[in-house]
Amino acid sequence: MTRKLLAFALLAFVASHTFAADKIPRLSNGKPDFSGIWQTTSAADYDLEPHAARQDAPPGAGIVAGNVIPYLPAALEQKKKNFANRAKDDPALKGWTLGVPRGIYYPEPFQIFQRQRDLTLVHQFGHSVRTIHTNGTPHPGGDRNQFWLGDSRGKWEGDTLVVDVADFNDETWLDRAGNYHSEAFHVVERWKYLDANTIEYTARLEDKEVYSKPWDISVILHRHREKNFQLIEDYRFTLDYEQHYPPKPPVAK
Amino acid sequence: MKTTASLLIAALALPAYAQQTLKTTERISFEPTYTQIASGKWTGKRLPDGQPDVEGHWSNTVGNHNNWTDPQGGIPGDPAPPRKPLGPREERAPSRVTDPVDGQVPFQPWAKAAQEDFLKNFHNPTQPQYIEPLARCAPAGVPKSLIWHGYEIRQYPGYVVFLFNSGTRIIHLDGKPHLPANIKLWNADSRGHWEGNTLVVDVTNNNSKALFGRTGEFASENVHITERYIFSPDGQRYNYVATFDDPSVYTRKWTATIPAKRRTGKDAVDGWHYEVALNKSGNQTVIERDERISTENNIGFGHVAVTPSAR
Repeated sequence: MTRKLLAFALLAFVASHTFAADKIPRLSNGKPDFSGIWQTTSAADYDLEPHAARQDAPPGAGIVAGNVIPYLPAALEQKKKNFANRAKDDPALKGWTLGVPRGIYYPEPFQIFQRQRDLTLVHQFGHSVRTIHTNGTPHPGGDRNQFWLGDSRGKWEGDTLVVDVADFNDETWLDRAGNYHSEAFHVVERWKYLDANTIEYTARLEDKEVYSKPWDISVILHRHREKNFQLIEDYRFTLDYEQHYPPKPPVAK
Repeated sequence: MKTTASLLIAALALPAYAQQTLKTTERISFEPTYTQIASGKWTGKRLPDGQPDVEGHWSNTVGNHNNWTDPQGGIPGDPAPPRKPLGPREERAPSRVTDPVDGQVPFQPWAKAAQEDFLKNFHNPTQPQYIEPLARCAPAGVPKSLIWHGYEIRQYPGYVVFLFNSGTRIIHLDGKPHLPANIKLWNADSRGHWEGNTLVVDVTNNNSKALFGRTGEFASENVHITERYIFSPDGQRYNYVATFDDPSVYTRKWTATIPAKRRTGKDAVDGWHYEVALNKSGNQTVIERDERISTENNIGFGHVAVTPSAR
């Protein structure tokens, strides 16, 4: 009985992996089509590094290869300060654009719209819009060199979308635990379908001002398949003043 | 930290290869009349999914959000009016309100008083409700986004996406129901379908906090807007014709018209209608749109007063 089950499981495993590559959505040019609404179930945004439960975070095994972010000594001191002040200094608390890669593993959905020339990512949080160009264009550099979401240029390696992200500002954090980067930040993302409803997202993060060497993260993104699911804009930075609009009719006495 | 102003400078300071093909100008021009466009069949280019292809960069042709009903009339009461005095009303573009014929929003008395109160206090706001929401970097919402800078339309199977200077609209073409009525949004909730050359969009869930312009016209969160984007056969222009239904603010339904024109590589970059930059793919020049929503919204008081950098 056990052997029969095992054989069945093995067959199912082989079948699913044989056909997975054929069943992923594709554009008319044959490239994988990542269109859809995606979200991680990981606790990465609380802290990229392994951590036990604490007042403001559930426990998590972290998503950093090797567990520890290789900070330079001075940068590690800054990170510790950020951590101590996270309840007021985390830019996400102000509703500001999360940046790359944080927007990908922040626990709110984002939608990918895809054409041959580019992918447009609309994040529910802040309604931030990011374009990943896949038309062979280079980073513009020069005066156009500081973006909240960096400048994204992608190319295809087989069925993997490899995105080089540069030209960042230093306003964003990587998580709620105060992990951070400078303007020298450079990210190389790899987007790959595991099956038609699951993306493996990995990224190599590099910053000579902050880290002693490049380091890697990896999360799984799941497709939202709930009936009629859609993004609902999350402009929480307007909450402080939005009660003043629009004018209301006089209250009857 | 980047602002609209520095984005403009960035757009003007193009690399040498780009300057050969992309003109720049500091003059932001508008037209004094509206172009008539009839609803009908679409005979132009189509996308593979069958939608009329209206992708690209667009901007309205008659004015910014200074004045809703007199688009080229400036902001009434402006303490620093333009040096050249305004001529007679008929020399300027007509009101965006095309029904009723008097060009005025048919406000109920309390709403008219509220609009006038906003305008009276606009130039020297002493209460938070007199500060224009866009000056706080709030999204420009519906319909103001269509008269606030140029914008880009991108189309996908099942969607038309508007990327505005301040805000984003995802128009769903798949017929799914609207969001529950108690969810109110700056960019509202949009369901669209194509009728020939016309994109018809049903707009609900509007929080109406953005107001229509600096003259203070507004709707309430009950407003139901039916938009018709009527594209010309050559794909170079469209008219936005929208009915506003809100019995809690108006005495009757009324119609707004906003004419718009496509912008291409032949147009000069002016930092308002057409805010693009050039890149290069091989020998081909490629027009790109820099990130905008985040840079605008992340600054404490927007492009009106920039938060100084800590460094």
